[in-house]
Amino acid sequence: MKFVIEGLTVYFPYEFIYREQYAYMVELKHALDARGHCLLEMPTGTGKTITLLSLITSYQLANPSLAKLIYCTRTVHEMEKVLDELRRLHLYQEKEIGSSRAKILALGLSSRKNLCIHPVVSGETSRESVDAGCRKLTASWVRAAAETNLDIETCSFYQGYEKQGSEQPLPPGVYTLHDLRVYGRQRGWCPYFLARQMIQFANVVVYNYQYLLDPKVSGIISKEMQKECIVVFDEAHNIDNVCIEALSVNLRQNNLDGASRNIHKLNQIISRFKETDANRLRQEYNRLVEGLAQQGNLHGSDNWLANPVLPEDILREAVPGNIRRAEHFVAFLQRAVQYLRERLDTDTVVKEGPVSFTTTMSTAAGLDQKALKFCYDRLHSLLLTLEVTEIDEFLHVQTVCNFLTLVGTYTRGFSIIIEPYDERMPHIPDPVLQLSCLDASLAIKPVFDRFQSVVITSGTLSPIDLYPRLLNFNPVIIHSFTMTLTRDCLCPMILARGSDQLPVSSKFDMRSDPGVVRNYGRLLLEMVATVPDGVVCFFVSYSYMDGIINSWNEMGILQEVMQHKLVFIETQDYVETTLALENFRQACDCGRGAVFFSVARGKVAEGIDFDRHYGRLVIMFGVPFQYTLSKILNARLEYLRDTFQIKEGDFLTFDAVASSLRSVLRLFVYLYQRQAAQCVGRVIRSKADYGMMIFADKRYNLPNKRNKLPQWIQSQLREEHLNLSTDMAVHIAREFLRRMAQPSDPQVSKSTLLSQEDLEKMAAMPNF
Amino acid sequence: MEKRSGQGGPAFQEDEEMEEEDKAPDMEAWERAYADDRSWESLIEDESGLLKAGDDVQQQRQHRRRLIQASGPRIQRGIIRYLCLILDFSRAAGEIDFRPSRMAVVAKAVEDFVREYFDQNPLSQLGIIVMKNGIASVVTELSGSPEAHIRALKSNLESFGEASLQNGLELAHTYVQHIPSYGHREVVIVFSALSTCDPGNILETVKKCKAARMKCSVVGLTAEIYICKHISQETGGSYAVAMNEGHLKEILLEHVPPPAAMPDASSASLVRMGFPQRGSEGAVAICACHKELRIGGGYICPRCRARVCELPTECSLCGLALVSSAHLARSYHHLFPIPTFDELLVDASLRGKSSFAGSCFGCRIQLSGGGSLRLRCPRCKRDFCFDCDVYIHESLHNCPGCETLQEEAVT
Repeated sequence: MKFVIEGLTVYFPYEFIYREQYAYMVELKHALDARGHCLLEMPTGTGKTITLLSLITSYQLANPSLAKLIYCTRTVHEMEKVLDELRRLHLYQEKEIGSSRAKILALGLSSRKNLCIHPVVSGETSRESVDAGCRKLTASWVRAAAETNLDIETCSFYQGYEKQGSEQPLPPGVYTLHDLRVYGRQRGWCPYFLARQMIQFANVVVYNYQYLLDPKVSGIISKEMQKECIVVFDEAHNIDNVCIEALSVNLRQNNLDGASRNIHKLNQIISRFKETDANRLRQEYNRLVEGLAQQGNLHGSDNWLANPVLPEDILREAVPGNIRRAEHFVAFLQRAVQYLRERLDTDTVVKEGPVSFTTTMSTAAGLDQKALKFCYDRLHSLLLTLEVTEIDEFLHVQTVCNFLTLVGTYTRGFSIIIEPYDERMPHIPDPVLQLSCLDASLAIKPVFDRFQSVVITSGTLSPIDLYPRLLNFNPVIIHSFTMTLTRDCLCPMILARGSDQLPVSSKFDMRSDPGVVRNYGRLLLEMVATVPDGVVCFFVSYSYMDGIINSWNEMGILQEVMQHKLVFIETQDYVETTLALENFRQACDCGRGAVFFSVARGKVAEGIDFDRHYGRLVIMFGVPFQYTLSKILNARLEYLRDTFQIKEGDFLTFDAVASSLRSVLRLFVYLYQRQAAQCVGRVIRSKADYGMMIFADKRYNLPNKRNKLPQWIQSQLREEHLNLSTDMAVHIAREFLRRMAQPSDPQVSKSTLLSQEDLEKMAAMPNF
Repeated sequence: MEKRSGQGGPAFQEDEEMEEEDKAPDMEAWERAYADDRSWESLIEDESGLLKAGDDVQQQRQHRRRLIQASGPRIQRGIIRYLCLILDFSRAAGEIDFRPSRMAVVAKAVEDFVREYFDQNPLSQLGIIVMKNGIASVVTELSGSPEAHIRALKSNLESFGEASLQNGLELAHTYVQHIPSYGHREVVIVFSALSTCDPGNILETVKKCKAARMKCSVVGLTAEIYICKHISQETGGSYAVAMNEGHLKEILLEHVPPPAAMPDASSASLVRMGFPQRGSEGAVAICACHKELRIGGGYICPRCRARVCELPTECSLCGLALVSSAHLARSYHHLFPIPTFDELLVDASLRGKSSFAGSCFGCRIQLSGGGSLRLRCPRCKRDFCFDCDVYIHESLHNCPGCETLQEEAVT
């Protein structure tokens, strides 16, 4: 359908549009008009992606001066989904306005691991080894050597790209990663380098957050993006963590050992070079005197990682004299590693600011701050000079240099924490030296400064006013949309009491109470006997989950649960969990029914959606507070309080509620999406997904927790669903499931959708 | 284990707030559920002092909506049906959220269903399978006598163990395999459990059923279950979940009218049938179905002269389908249904124009007073009240208005 929003013609590939999608477009357009940043919250699965894409591409059509849309996603899977939607949109636009006007070039960019088509290299398992494998075949000196010596292997795809691909642009269209690989195979061009080159010409680029936020990567990939770009961060609820991770480094014993080995090897190579090709080293020295830490115009295949420091903080000066000579630099590194090793060998927890750390470093080991700043670039230059291709072997020394450069550059917003062992397992020595970034606004600041409009959007950004403070920016539009449901297909409940009317909670003083454990067990038991197919349970931590499952086993609750449903448990092992998930799905498919036990912040099952019958019910046992004794968390809380005036309690509660929600909401990803796809035809099939969520902890009943829930969930959280006990929850669940099993009335669902005529009518009304 | 002792701040605050919250006087949860509802306010007292729940007309519309949905265009229907009823008497059937228990409610609904089924489908047969304790067992073979089914079912009421849909379907599959090709193979599963414990892969069994052109429908008692939906979708059946006892009966009875013929089964073929004579009162013969000496009654197969007790059936000697002409006639109306009547919204301009302005053509009740819908037959343009509409469509299967028109045309 085609409609007009305040003078802008918007092309939308479906016949109907939801009210909130329309409202979202209006707000988004205002932000684009104002050339400012915006923060938008819209319920999960309401078709955010297509709404964003269709408005922004229409906006691009109307304003050719806009450069491109940069769409950032978290995972490759999401990236492909975005591109699929875009393709559908593109086909529709072509149909509407002809292929000559609707010409767009859209492509996804990912690491070599996902794009490589070289028969041997693409078989490598880790990202680093694929990168290194590629480098072995494509580095400029390797190819130069191959011209004279035919025995040296190169990559035919890269050669093909180099010969023709770099001049001939990709024909317009929408390219997913898969399409790029297919196209690359057809033409014999390397898809990775093709994609990297083409992003300069593309109208829409879809890639990972890291490509903009992590200075190591963005320095290479996103350097040449124009100011007139629109940047979208989708599913951006943990964007602050991504920012922080981009600037944080952890050093452990094995990193330092590895670094020592690397340094030893570097020494060997340097001495070999001195005998054979001393000239090269001298040339490098001269270059460094001139202040060109990074070689001027590097060849595309030669640069693999840029400086970890944010662009404006990089010094454009000559490298200091004491590390200009290769052997001096290696000796410098050796001293640094030695010093770090000494620091790591401690019995107590140490917390320091970067300033005091560098001061003690320079007095104790004679490593001055100025030199530290250049470590990363100096190493980079050295590796290039020495023509090292096995970059994956030198990861450890890179990590150390990364650390040194960051420590040398920043004096605020960071802290250095040395812990001799993990708090949770004090008897196992596992020393770690953490340089942790405390300020999420640091990494994202260049993005805000550089681009015209930045859109941050997700299903759960509540409380929405916290984000501008965390990220330190001034959005022109902040809006949280509710959703119009065709029926109450969402049933959140807050369970505060067990079947014996005693309160349940995962609070520290209550969690090991057998009464609470039994009440939680009874709740699960009652629910598996009431809810069909899949049930997912989230616990606050692995240790808590292990404990409670043990007690349930002893009490015989687990055996009773097994009579109704099979039990699957997430472990910290990736393969094991994948297998468990697969079997869980199978058990749901064949009607046996299954329960999946997972951890709210668990990394393993993260990103897996429990949609449709795989997650008819999600139970959140307890409030997943972050581990509050963690030194890093405390440092961050302190910093937030001092710098942004955000109270610790506020942040912790926000974080806990948000993470429990995110776990729980994984079941609703497809609430609307499937429906939207069905709107293509004339008939609307309104059989949407449905599900229940139980927050089982008395603390959720507190207003300060409840208020942190997004508006669209609060509106579903009815008064009688608060402060429940187990038997009441069972009753509500039974009624809800029966109600949802009834076929829904197509007339009702039609009223939440707007057709083209409806929109025209609305436009005619002046005061909508 | 996590500790939060030293970290006083947030945890401490919470306790205080918690206490405040507890002190606040609040309604009980069940009270709150009804507080917004105010269902008692819609009760109306009529002139004789009886309480009526809400709006009559609205309920009548509700009832009609179902009728309208059921009636499609005139389609080919399979009126010779072989229906296999699979009942779930597993542990879950013993639950008491339906009173006195799910099993008792199901048994009662099935009893009604069986009677109604044979009443409307006299040419069809039915068999009952019960799932309990992980296995499926035959209660009655495919046959035509409603009383026998009901008797067998009543003697079989106990519930324990798990339910296995796969076993049930496999058994139904063997059952249905050797029925003639013109017969419609149907399975209706009444399922109270939430899971099925199968010995093998049920998805294979579903494929097998689909290949055997078995139409499997499921009536659920608790919630929507994925596998049930899958079974019904794959085999072209329907799936519904009962809200309460009344609704259960209603959706079960939806399986009574013959279903639309499956497209691939629609090759027209002649079916050989016999119309047996009733045996004379005093005649003594060995009954072919019970294998024993019987005196009087019974029917005599026109081809092989064997004596059978009940109609409709299949002659156990020569395999001829035996029916009576009355049965055929009763099945006939499904093929030529009378059209659904249109609701007329009462407005002033219409009054006076129509010849039967104020009254129902069927029972002469005044229609202008409200309390009933005004419904008009699209063919004869006569108006009827709601009760007559129900009677005409559900029992009579003839429109009195159209019949008088024909009479007038003849005279």
